[in-house]
Order: sequence, then structure tokens, then C-alpha cells
Amino acid sequence: MRNEGIKFLKRISLLILVSLFLSLSFSCRPREIEVPEPPSDRHQPFNFIGKRGMVVAAHPLAAQAGLEMLKKGGNAIDAAVTTAFALNASEPFASGIGGGGFMVIYLASEKRVTVINFREKAPSNASPEMFMDEGKTREDWRRTHGLAVAVPGALAGWNYALSKYGTKKLAEVMERAIEIAEKGFVVSKTFSTINKDEYEKLLMNGGEESCYLNEGFPFEPGDIFQNENLARTLKLIAANGIHEFYKGEIARKIVTAVKEKGGMITSEDLESYGPTEQAPLNGTYKDYRIFTNVPPGSGGLLIIQLLNILENWPIKKWGHNSQTYIHHFSEALRFVFADRGRYLGDPEFISIPMDKLTSKEYASQIVSKISPDRPLDFYPYGKFDESEDKKDNTTHLCVVDEEGNIVSLTQTINHFFGSGIIPEDTGFLLNNQMDDFSRDPSSLNAPRPRRRPLSSMGPLIMFKGEKPFLILGSPGGTRIFSSLTQIIINIIEFKMFLDDAIEAPRFFTYSVGGKPRSISLESRVAETIVKALEAMGHEMRIREDYDKYFGGAQGILILHGKKIIYGGADSRRDGFGAGY
Amino acid sequence: MKKTSITLLLSLFLFTITAFSLQEKKEPSPTFEQPLLITSAGQSAEVQLASVLAKRASLDFKLSKLANPADLENIKTLVLVLGLSMKGLGAAGLDLAKEKERISTLIKEAEKKKIPILFLHLGGEARRGQLSDELITSFLPYGKMVIVVKSGNKDKLFNRICNENNIPLIEVEKTIDALVPFKGAFK
Repeated sequence: MRNEGIKFLKRISLLILVSLFLSLSFSCRPREIEVPEPPSDRHQPFNFIGKRGMVVAAHPLAAQAGLEMLKKGGNAIDAAVTTAFALNASEPFASGIGGGGFMVIYLASEKRVTVINFREKAPSNASPEMFMDEGKTREDWRRTHGLAVAVPGALAGWNYALSKYGTKKLAEVMERAIEIAEKGFVVSKTFSTINKDEYEKLLMNGGEESCYLNEGFPFEPGDIFQNENLARTLKLIAANGIHEFYKGEIARKIVTAVKEKGGMITSEDLESYGPTEQAPLNGTYKDYRIFTNVPPGSGGLLIIQLLNILENWPIKKWGHNSQTYIHHFSEALRFVFADRGRYLGDPEFISIPMDKLTSKEYASQIVSKISPDRPLDFYPYGKFDESEDKKDNTTHLCVVDEEGNIVSLTQTINHFFGSGIIPEDTGFLLNNQMDDFSRDPSSLNAPRPRRRPLSSMGPLIMFKGEKPFLILGSPGGTRIFSSLTQIIINIIEFKMFLDDAIEAPRFFTYSVGGKPRSISLESRVAETIVKALEAMGHEMRIREDYDKYFGGAQGILILHGKKIIYGGADSRRDGFGAGY
Repeated sequence: MKKTSITLLLSLFLFTITAFSLQEKKEPSPTFEQPLLITSAGQSAEVQLASVLAKRASLDFKLSKLANPADLENIKTLVLVLGLSMKGLGAAGLDLAKEKERISTLIKEAEKKKIPILFLHLGGEARRGQLSDELITSFLPYGKMVIVVKSGNKDKLFNRICNENNIPLIEVEKTIDALVPFKGAFK
């Protein structure tokens, strides 16, 4: 009996010792941030949290791939390129090696911002009338034909950034993308909906055997999407370098595929493609400084122009999405669109009055023309192409690393699933970026040899004083700069937290030929506001609650005082963040 | 007493099972005749899916996304593919009101010519929502048969309308599963 009592006491003591050891060992570990799980309702605002680094992208697998690279010791540029490759595998309908984009980089040690422009270029045989047939524009040639394909720049741009500012080798940053393409992943509702929307194009250019169709039908949510051809293509590039794409076997397949569909890209066009590095465009909003890309990415310039106009009004007093706010913002947008059509194009070939467009004085002139109680019936004449209104594609990713380096990257293959043309057995989609050139042969943005088409992309980094505060970008065609400006205003004026600002209801309008178009808005905006705007003379167009028409923004907010990094990812697409 | 209750319960159970299987599971007996005209009701891309289904089913069909009454000439069945796409409407230069008007005119002409209507809803959950539902509730009662992909009928809206109007409803898991009932519906 006594022995049993001693045994019992020994057991209890042992248990206490083990418990003590375990609790001590846990408390001695560096404290990791408690990362809450995103809510099941994906539209409920949710901020991803990190202390050392953060990656936000349009697909969870891509964000995770970027984070793994950061944890392996890669810097923000390594992680951004890893994420970009992973997006090619996990969100292939929005971007990839068949497309192009812009990358804004902040180098913490140098306190310098730089921009890499890897926008696609027109083939050397392009001409302003290339889409005209018997005096009329052929819309199908601009979008789903071989002529729609511009010379891809993504791979050259990523490789340039990696070689100059990264620390890892090309093959290393491609590993995860190859794995995703090989193993596959579960198709989301977003993927499936877009796959169905673009079914006709995929069927036309890839047939029922297209790797982006499931036995000839669109993928349904829950299906597994694998892309072994893409995995093979990426492995080839990893082994032989980007020359494989611009000069090797893949280049030959691109030229053949484009030619078969009536296009004009030559092997010389591919061989001669190169990205450019440029100084950023910068502007201010109150105490904040914005660094962004320069044209042909017009988004950054137009965000600065819009913010310059908005700075003149008591926005905070008017209230978020109030009648007065939406009216004034919409009028500003219509003026900005007129300028976009009138002045913008590829700055390598035309002169753009950037100083004038981004000046506070010019913004004041526009403000003085806007009436507080009614929309104008005429805006300065512009040549903005109405059909651009139909796009809601592209993708954005942001990365912050432990050293404070930052990447804000927006890229695209233009329309969802691009041109729908897939070079033989390669598994990647070619862009239809030529559709971003103007329909008007006399426009500054008409297609011409080796020019880059105008874009609305506007990846940006915003500073408060000397420190980076907000990294932001979005897809969404011509809605990009309107949506990003609304998010910035939501944060600065309406004091919303990052993801609340991203998820808040959005609106958009524009002008064509000096005439206002309707205001599109998400149905979450109160009906009373819609009615009041109608009473003012605006035509209103109600869209879905969370409509991807307005983009899919990704952002990172850095609170230096609290040493916390927040990531916000748009639920209008499959946005996701990963921090540590 | 106990025996009677059990018999009653069993009967009720069997009746329910039969009723459900009649409404949702039963393969259609060939009802419709060829040739058929396939058109969209809402300009979603699913109209193209319907044409691939018709092709695989070796049906004699004509596809016209923007069909008008004149297209019904020599047609024996009208197939309306339900699902609203703002993008599709925009590309076709239409708004919802104009699209509703086009479908109404087409249905009226079909009724006049005694052409039966088969409805397909192939877009699943993504093609549900306030605006798509407006089309569904307005036009579905004119159907002689409905085939719907399950995820688009989670709230049983199609069951409700079909019950009220005595329309046979076939629910399938995925788009590709619509092939068998679609083929089977035609003589």
C-alpha cells in the first residue's frame, strides 16, 4: 500500500516536471505572431498579420510560395518573382510568361524607388491600320486573333529584376510554380466562373482539347486543375534560362502559334525584346508621397491626378460613398479620362506633358469646372476607347521583406485567358495586349512598330514621411486607378483599416468623346444614394455586391510604431496574404 | 392501431420518394423534336456549352446568341440557356431590359407556333443572384422541361417554380452530366 502511494507520488511529480519543462520550452521560443484563420465568409474584412515579412497575391498558393522564399532567406525581389511564377501556375487566366507588366521596387538600404517596365511590345510589322478591314475595326482581330498578340515581356522583366536586385537563381524561384503546375490544385468558384465566361474563346483557339478545359468543358468548383505542359515549359526555362523562351524552342512555338492564327510576331521580335528600368513617377496627397510607374502604365499618373483634384474638397466631411462624394469623384474621373485619351501613349515615342498633368495647379483648374449639384454635359474631348470598359482581368502582388525592401507588381495577359492562344504543348497563354492600342489610327496610342500599348496599371508605394506606409495595386482594366484612389481615400480620409478599405463598395464612371457615361456601382451602396444621384442627372448602373469588374486589389500596410505588417487581399477574386 | 400507423408511415415514405424521383431523377422520355434553336437568356457563355452538348448528342441544332422570332422558322424546339452575364450583355450591346424584351418576343412567337421550350441552367451558383433570378422567375414558367446544374439550385428556386407550373425538372451534378438527359429529351 505504501509502495503504491510512493509510485503515485512519483508519477505526479514526473507529470509536473514534464509540464514545467514543456511550458518553459514554449515560453523560451521566439514568440510567433498568432495568425488568425481568415473567416469563412470571404467578404468579411480580414487583415493578414506579419512582423518580419508579408506577401499578398491573388491566389493562396502564390502568396504561400512567396512567403516560403522569404523564410528561405530570399529578399522581396526573390519572393515577388517566386510569387509571379506561382501565379502563372495557380491563376493562369490573369497573368503569366505570355504577358507583361510593371514592377515598382523600394530598396531599403539605398532608400531608392525604381520601376521595371516589362510591358509587351507591338511586333515590328504593326501599323495603325492593322485592325481595319474594309474601313471597319475588326474587334475579333484585336482580341482573339493572332494579330491580338503582342511580344511578351514578363519573363524578361522578372529575370531582369532577379538578376539585378534579387539574391536567388532563376531555377530556385521557379521551383514552387513547377510543383503547383504538376500537382494541381482545387479549382475555386472564381476560376470556374472566369473559365465559363471565356469558354467560347478557349474553344475557338484551343479546341475541346485545350488544357484550360476539362474534357472540353469549363472546370467546375472543386475540380482539380493540373497543367503538366506548363510544368514542362517552366522546367525547360529553369534549365536553359530565358533564352529558351526568346530564342529557343519555345520562341519557335510562339511564332508558329501566332502565325497560324493570322498574327505577325517574328523570331526577331522575340529576340529583340528587352525590359526597361525607369525612375518612378511621384506625387503627393496631403502629407503622403506616392511612387508609382510611368506611362505607358497610365494608372499611377492618373491616381496622382485624381488625388490632386480630391485634395481640394472636404471629403471627410462629405462622408464615405455619400451622394456628394460620389458625384464629385465621378466628375473628376470624367475629366481624368478625357486627359487619358488626349495625352497618353508610349513615352518612348511620344511626348507626354506629365508635369502638367500631375501638377496641383492643373487639378485646381479642373476643380473650378466641376458643378456641385449636377453632372456636366461636356468634358474636354478625349479619344478613350469605350470597349476597354469590358475588361476586369490582370493581377497584383505586394511583398515586404525583413530588411524593408518592397515590391509592388501588377501584371497581365490583358483579357482573362488572354488571346486564348496556347503555343503547342507549352501550357501557357499568349496575351491579347494589342487590344490596348487605340482603335483610332490617328491616336498617339495607335499601334506602331515596337511600341508599348497604353495600360491602366498603377502599382504604387506610398510613404508617410520617410517611411513606406502603404503598398497597393489592382487589376481591373480602366477601373484600376479609380479603385486604388478610393482605397487610398478610404484609409486616409475615412480612417478605414486596410481590408475594410479594400472590401468597401466601389463605383466607377468615365467619359467618351467628352460625354459622360453612367456611374457603375456595387449594389451595396444605399438605394437612397443611388436615387439621389439619379435625381442630380447621373445615369446609374447597378452591379453585383462584390463585382470583380472593379478589380481585385492587394495591399500591405506597415505600422512602423507597432512594428506590424498588415496584408489585405480582395475577396472580389481569390486574394490571400501570408506573413511571418 | 400500431400496424395501421406503420403502414401509413411507409406509404407516406414511399410516396415522398416516388414524388422526388419523378421530379428530379427520372430520365426524360423523348419529348422534344429536332431541329432545335439554341439561344441565350442573359448572354452568359453557357450558351456555348449548350451547343457543345448538342454537338456531342448529335442533335440537329442551330445556335444564335441573339435569336429573334424569324430564327424560329422550321424549328421544332427552342432551347433557352438561362444565366445573366453583364460582360455578355455589354459585348452584345444590350442591357437587361432589352434582353428581357428579346426573350419575351421569342417566347411569344414560340407559343404562337406551338414550339416547346426547354430551359438549361448550366452556370451553377455563379449564375445566380438578383439579376439572374429576375430572368429565371420571369421566363421559367414557360418551359416544358428544365435541366439545372445542382449548385445553381441550392435554394431550390427551380423546384419551387417547376412545382408551381408542373414542369419536369432534372438536376445534374456538373455540366457534362447534362449530356444524357439533354440527349434523352429529344426524339
